[in-house]
Amino acid sequence: MKADVVFKPLRELGPLLESRKLSPVELTEHFLERLERFGPRYNAVVTVMREHGLAQARRAEGEIAAGRYRGPLHGIPYGAKDLLATAGAPTTWGAAPYRTQRFDFDATVISRLEEAGAVLVAKLSMIELAGGMGYRQPTASFTGPCINPWDANAWTGGSSSGSGAAVSSGLVPFAIGSETWGSILSPAGYCGLAGLRPTYGRVSRHGAMALCWSLDKLGPLAQTADDCGLVLDAIAGPDPKDPTASPRPYRYETLDRKTFRFGRIRSVTDGCEEAVVDNFARSLGVLGKFATIEEVTLPDLPYEQITRTILQVEASSAFEDLIGSGGIAGLTAPEDRHTPYARDAILAKDYLKAVRLRTVMAREIDRVLERYDALVAPGRINEAPVLGQEFRSAIGATAKDVMGAIGNGAGLPAVCVPNGFGVRGLPTSIQFMGRAWEENTVLAAARAYQSLTDWHTRHPKVL
Amino acid sequence: MSEAVKPDPEADALFEIVRRRYGDRLTPAQLDELRKIVAGQLEAARALRAVTLTNVDEPMQPFAPYRTEP
Repeated sequence: MKADVVFKPLRELGPLLESRKLSPVELTEHFLERLERFGPRYNAVVTVMREHGLAQARRAEGEIAAGRYRGPLHGIPYGAKDLLATAGAPTTWGAAPYRTQRFDFDATVISRLEEAGAVLVAKLSMIELAGGMGYRQPTASFTGPCINPWDANAWTGGSSSGSGAAVSSGLVPFAIGSETWGSILSPAGYCGLAGLRPTYGRVSRHGAMALCWSLDKLGPLAQTADDCGLVLDAIAGPDPKDPTASPRPYRYETLDRKTFRFGRIRSVTDGCEEAVVDNFARSLGVLGKFATIEEVTLPDLPYEQITRTILQVEASSAFEDLIGSGGIAGLTAPEDRHTPYARDAILAKDYLKAVRLRTVMAREIDRVLERYDALVAPGRINEAPVLGQEFRSAIGATAKDVMGAIGNGAGLPAVCVPNGFGVRGLPTSIQFMGRAWEENTVLAAARAYQSLTDWHTRHPKVL
Repeated sequence: MSEAVKPDPEADALFEIVRRRYGDRLTPAQLDELRKIVAGQLEAARALRAVTLTNVDEPMQPFAPYRTEP
């Protein structure tokens, strides 16, 4: 197996498989070997699904040989965040109290990827309970802190930590993550990947751990924005098993656009590290070659308080049994073992005010976004945090993230892609956030940016 | 010289809910931390309360009547 398949985008792997220049079984063997060899180095993997993966790969090989090519994911290995139910392996939710948990069915996303011919090879590590208990440090997972492939002293971000590490280090060509607030864009941004947070309801949540019923989204992390579109095409769509899954059909479209209109929130780089500000300024220069960029002033609303209140209350309710029983004492991060108790003191009336204000926020931001293809902003405020230290977070109210608060609170799609490196040599990123159901627009914008830059072609040394 | 903390009866009352429910599981240091978190939550709530809404401003409804189809 040639080493150059490792970081090859799905867009290039697919034709090699379709034309039988590449064998799904050999490709799967290659990535299984990498998962087993390098996965422990990054604490990226909970379960390697060797037999399951090889069985799916053999089926793909037979179908392709018989002329039944299913599409661009056929025969391609992938990993799933360990909050997605899979019949063939434990589903731990990243949390010690659930380390032996098993389900006898597959999440809809897993079933859809199987229908597309993709090959599930690993359940990937994650922050315990997707970070919903208020963690403040990278160690908040029973599998240990996820290590950034770009720097062994840096974290991957979370909560889809293993998804970020595994794709960034070439252990799988793509992975599925989830985002309630930041959990796809954070590991994608810190690990130098493309990460797509779809519109709320675009992808069925059936079989995914519920953290916050009205905020949880599932989406891909991959080498390029284009690859994210290919994966979204396979996993999106209505699902009678998830009443919040939208009946709107979705097809990934790759028609190249020549021009775009972007908005940029006036204070969006406040609190960002200097290198993030500099790289964002350079990115705006690139975008200026094919787009207009206008400064935007948002209506004065308590965006972060709205989304944070909803998140805290829904997560507290979703894990009422674990919190009420004191079972949170079995979690890994010390703060996760007691800080959730504070949420009992959020009044129902205040929670409902947040829910009502979310409607206002969604309406107001759509009014802003209707003039643009996307709002652009740094993907993260900093380079990846250092291991062994507490980090700042918007959920913990120790950092600003207006884009994340609005995007997640209003359920809007966003894609982030790498846009340079910081002073510690770790990736920085830019995000494009669009109107509801405009994944194709934000992906087109990110593709246009990536067509003029080569940050996505740089990879960490994994030896 | 540290600034004196302004008394906040509402924060105290909300913290008391937490202390009464879970105090037996918590150390004094953890209780101190929870007191600060409750104060932060209240600060967020006050930011929400400061925005005026009217009778027509509803939540986006996820609820729908349910009935099993034959």
